[in-house]
Amino acid sequence: MELQDTFYSKSEYVETTTGNKVSRQAQIYGSQNIILNGKVILQSGVMIRGDLASVKMGRYCFVGRGSVVRPPCKKFSGGFTYFALQIGDHVHIGEQSVIQAAIIGSYVHIGKNVVIGKRCILKDCCMIGDNTVLAPDTVVPSFTHYSGSPGIQIGQLPVCTQDLSTDYTKSFYDHFVPSIDNL
Amino acid sequence: MSSKIKIAQGAMVCKEIKVKGQVSFGASTIIHPGVTLIAEAGPIEIGENNIIEEYVNIIHKFLPGEEQSEPVTLKIGSNNVFEVYSIIEGVKSIGDNNIFESKSYVGRNLTIGNDCIIGAGCHLTSTSPIEDGTCVYGKNCTRQKAFCKPSVPGGHREFLVKLLPSYHLLRKNKNPIEGT
Repeated sequence: MELQDTFYSKSEYVETTTGNKVSRQAQIYGSQNIILNGKVILQSGVMIRGDLASVKMGRYCFVGRGSVVRPPCKKFSGGFTYFALQIGDHVHIGEQSVIQAAIIGSYVHIGKNVVIGKRCILKDCCMIGDNTVLAPDTVVPSFTHYSGSPGIQIGQLPVCTQDLSTDYTKSFYDHFVPSIDNL
Repeated sequence: MSSKIKIAQGAMVCKEIKVKGQVSFGASTIIHPGVTLIAEAGPIEIGENNIIEEYVNIIHKFLPGEEQSEPVTLKIGSNNVFEVYSIIEGVKSIGDNNIFESKSYVGRNLTIGNDCIIGAGCHLTSTSPIEDGTCVYGKNCTRQKAFCKPSVPGGHREFLVKLLPSYHLLRKNKNPIEGT
């Protein structure tokens, strides 16, 4: 099935040479610590806290409206630190989600209104349903579907998840086009 | 309504916040960007050493039809942590050492004691007060007495105090009078 075009106003988005499309309404702090590897879409109201620690994002990622991507923190006996957040390629993050994971693998789908607790590890090819709350330090294995509050495994994903996810995020990027009256 | 902000010494309040009405921030309180504070039903007094993270909404409004009633002060104690996207709507009072986790919602007329944890995604709408040391968790908002007190966010605060000024524009008091 072909995805429908999503239109955006050209004046709202900034496009970089590597194809990142970043809304002007996105709140990005500490930009020197943020790496977007290209073809990443950040919608309005997205907040990325690069000031707390570095944030790396792979290719073909999408972050929906009002989501917060902030590096996780941990209190040790010796003190307190924030540490880096790594996100792989082809990751879709829905609207109004809060991401405080340590590592998110590639080909991951995260729904809307999701809370990913501090220092979670999401392996490659997994899916988090809408309105899920993942407890801190959860490890989500590959090819699993997690949902609920607290998030537990409710199903498995097919072996071809990598291809499905690649197709989905690529076609989402291709169909994210400026609205016609702005051309 | 004009907004009046009082910032005590040592408090860090980021520029990108929305404030309506009269709000005072206690010493060493940290306000991250994107916070909304609405004090239509009287002033909001935020105590010392609190951490309020991104997109937190603290709404202190009258119910429709009660706009003419006496303004009441909403007092928030000390050492509280409000995590990302938590919504506090018209609570009566909040004590000390509480943690409001991400996307928690606290409804009207609730009184929250000390050392409580409101879990991520919990939607509290009942009016029975939350006693000291209660932990609210899960999708059914189960209440349970916690066995130990939540840790005071001392290290967290100190870390942010060092870090925030180098990346953010901070709000300052217009008239720098001490002890306001």
